[in-house]
Amino acid sequence: MESTRVITEMILEEAKKTAEHVVQEAQKSAEETLEKQRQLGVQKANESAQLLFKKAESEAELNKLHSMANAKIKANWVILSKKEAWIDNVLNEAKNKLRTLTESKEYLSILEKLITEAGVILGGKELEVILNEQDSTLPLKLDDLAKEISERTGFETKLRLSEEKPKVIGGTIVRMANGKVIMDNTFDDILRRREKDLRSEIAKILF
Amino acid sequence: MSVLLEAFKAIKEKHLEAKRIVEEATAQAEKLKNEAEQKALSVYEEAYKTTLSQAEQKAMDIKRKAVKDAEHELEKFLSNAEDQAKGIEAKARKNFKKAVDSVLNMILQ
Repeated sequence: MESTRVITEMILEEAKKTAEHVVQEAQKSAEETLEKQRQLGVQKANESAQLLFKKAESEAELNKLHSMANAKIKANWVILSKKEAWIDNVLNEAKNKLRTLTESKEYLSILEKLITEAGVILGGKELEVILNEQDSTLPLKLDDLAKEISERTGFETKLRLSEEKPKVIGGTIVRMANGKVIMDNTFDDILRRREKDLRSEIAKILF
Repeated sequence: MSVLLEAFKAIKEKHLEAKRIVEEATAQAEKLKNEAEQKALSVYEEAYKTTLSQAEQKAMDIKRKAVKDAEHELEKFLSNAEDQAKGIEAKARKNFKKAVDSVLNMILQ
């Protein structure tokens, strides 16, 4: 009877060990399955995250480039405006100086020179001299100027003061008697004609 | 003879009991595996969600840092531009008369 009891206990013991092993293995397998899934989830999320980081970095870079480009445009515009304002100031001051010059004694000879040059360019003959109100009162020696133009062009020249009184700073407009060709030697027109060169020259000196 | 029969009977009973114990354990093991398989998807999703959420936070930090860096660079740039403008102003003031004289020379020459 004793040996039977030993045998039956061994059978039960063996069965319990087997059962315990089966359950432990199953638990281990279940944990491994869950861990594997967890790692897979992390891996997939990391793959998406890489794209997310790249997108964030490129968006940030783009925003930075955009704001820098805007700032550069703005800064360049401010500097350019400042330069343009200074160039305008110089031109305005030059106009003021020219106005002052028209009040001076030396202006008469300057005006005569401008009339002569215009007359020569037009080729002499019968010419009309147009001056502003103030300059029309100056003691111009038109006959002497006509003589000089005749000598330089080879054509007999006559100068006549026009009744027209344009509102200009100073200088003269000389017109052929037939009215077909004019030479504008007013300070206003010289400034206008040469504005591009003047602005460039002013910029070189100022900055 | 009856003693031997009794012994066989007892052994057979224990065999049956042992078989039942192993079968129950096998069933429990199967249940554990099934539960794990059912839970696997939610574990995957949870891990994915958590990791991605952390990544999104990090991406936001990258953007925030980039904005800060850009602002800093912008400030530096604008400060340089301001200095440049001041330099232009100073030069222009200094050379103003010379420029006016040059214009007059060009007009009256």
